[in-house]
Amino acid sequence: MENLESLLHGFTIAVTVPHLALMVVGVLLGILVGVLPGLGAPNGVSLLLPLTFGMQPVSAIILLSSMYWGALFGGSVTSILFNIPGEPSSVATTFDGYPMARDGRPTTALATAFGSAAFGALVGVILITFLASWVAQVALAFGPAEYFAVYFLAFASFVGMGGSAPIKTVVALAIGFAIAAIGIDTVSGSVRLTMGVDELVKGVSFVVAVMGLFGIGELLIAVEEEFQARAVSSKVEWREVFRALGQLPRHSVALLRSAAIGCWMGITPGGPTAASFMSYGIAKRFSRNGHRFGTGEVEGIIAPETADHAAGTSALLPMLSLGIPGSATAAVMMGGLMIWGLNPGPMLFVDQKDFVWGLIASMYVGNIVAVVLVLLTVPVFAALMRIPFVVIAPLIVIICAVGAYSVSNSYLDVVLMLGFGIVGYLFKKLYYPLAPLVLAIVIGDKAEDAFRQSMLMSKGSLGIFFENRLVTSLVVAGMALLLLPLALQILRLWRGPGEAAQEKARII
Amino acid sequence: MISRRALEIVTAALTGIFGVAVVVSSIDNGIGWSSAGVDAGTFPFLTGTIVVLGSLYNLAQGALGRSTLASVTVAVTRSELGRLAGLFVPAAIFVAAIPILGMYVASAGYVFAVLALPKRQSVLHAIVIAVVTPVALYVVFERLFQVSLPHGALAGALGY
Repeated sequence: MENLESLLHGFTIAVTVPHLALMVVGVLLGILVGVLPGLGAPNGVSLLLPLTFGMQPVSAIILLSSMYWGALFGGSVTSILFNIPGEPSSVATTFDGYPMARDGRPTTALATAFGSAAFGALVGVILITFLASWVAQVALAFGPAEYFAVYFLAFASFVGMGGSAPIKTVVALAIGFAIAAIGIDTVSGSVRLTMGVDELVKGVSFVVAVMGLFGIGELLIAVEEEFQARAVSSKVEWREVFRALGQLPRHSVALLRSAAIGCWMGITPGGPTAASFMSYGIAKRFSRNGHRFGTGEVEGIIAPETADHAAGTSALLPMLSLGIPGSATAAVMMGGLMIWGLNPGPMLFVDQKDFVWGLIASMYVGNIVAVVLVLLTVPVFAALMRIPFVVIAPLIVIICAVGAYSVSNSYLDVVLMLGFGIVGYLFKKLYYPLAPLVLAIVIGDKAEDAFRQSMLMSKGSLGIFFENRLVTSLVVAGMALLLLPLALQILRLWRGPGEAAQEKARII
Repeated sequence: MISRRALEIVTAALTGIFGVAVVVSSIDNGIGWSSAGVDAGTFPFLTGTIVVLGSLYNLAQGALGRSTLASVTVAVTRSELGRLAGLFVPAAIFVAAIPILGMYVASAGYVFAVLALPKRQSVLHAIVIAVVTPVALYVVFERLFQVSLPHGALAGALGY
């Protein structure tokens, strides 16, 4: 019950006129970056970051998290109306959302998507409300060895469950760690990996990496594919909205299953994109109408949308209680927390009660604000898609340049950002995952510190990672996840090549 | 035209070179164990080694054509390459011009050049967008949020 009391206190912080106004601004900006190709939630949040330095942390996080909700919703709008996913995590929504809209039921598709998204988000927030403080309490007893084990587990789960080629994930992670190490070493004070460039002493900010990887990289992918926006009608009929929402409880099994998948993928850092694909795949296999998926089936919209938002929301749970973000956007927000002078992790629940519970309460309110706003503004943002891509592209390049520069007023950052753009393009093209790269840049230093502190405690013996039951089981679980892809591959070889090909076809 | 195999090999080579640079540079910082604990170079050294080993594996996989979706042999066609260059080259020139012209003049010139020169938009349209963009940047960043953007050598020479 203590949680509910804290939550009520949180509402008194979140439901104030300035904070509600911030939510509206955040959600609208979020829908904007969600709708525009080439700009996504990680970019949007990093762009806004330098503008929040003068704010109260709780106001800043409300603005940024509202932007995240808006971006999640905005991505679905373009998926359904234009067959163009505005966000990677809404790719799976195009499979059934666009066919339904094309068949003359755009309002049903949108309302179903928003309704199930809101349900997914709600489940995620409820989970955070009841679980986050408990996890934090457990984590308070963690020493450096336990922390390193948790980081290790998080990174291993990317390799084991991320869905990309495992060695490519490992390379992306390790590059992220190396980038995080650039600059002054916090423990010894020596300068590392600057390769003779003096300006690199300040390190490479994750914002610069995000601008390039997600901004310029995505833009290059988009211009290469040369999509054309062929919109279906974007008029919203309100009676149809309520009818579609009324139909949702009939699919309660799909809703609950997708929400569970989403929460799981959000907490273990699989992220919203993997969650929505996984949920769609599972729904296709288990739904009664599974064979009709891809032609505009209601459950084909419910499954990815619910999981997407459940994962996006619950990705904040490990960020708040352990200091490990569950998605790329959560990683950016966590970077923000550190810039505002907060220390993400269990101590937040002791020292910064107002911040934590204000944020959690704002997640309830923010998602309601987001659903209402996105329904009201669908026609406006759909009209935005008619602006030719050649006009939008240079504007996004300028925004990314300004965003990279404004982190620390350094021109070198702008050049680096462009370099990250090429890396982002190559990585996306060849299915190297970007989220683990960003995650490693944000928490690389913390993971390294945890490792070095535990080594100091044990005087250089790795035995500290097997000292008690908790840390041993974390390390063993991480090892198991690391070896999972290898085990699967051996199993597949053992079963014979014919079946392996079938398996691949089923996954795709 | 760029084959997927070539792209895989180039990317793996790039990550590998980065890995080698990290390894070499971290050896300067000292690796291993000293009286002060784990030396500063150890952790980067380990990550660099992992990058190198992983890149070698990816390089081999790419060269043998065994990577994911290897059946797609062409990664970038000629026309796609043209469109990529059409976006990236002007963007690179824009970034290169920032220290000289400053963010505002460079962005106005960039927008105008991209829109008006290939005749994608009417000249009037292009001028309007090229003027509105830096003004919007100025209002949002310099005025509302007091974030100063680079004014460039040009503004300095003109005495701003």
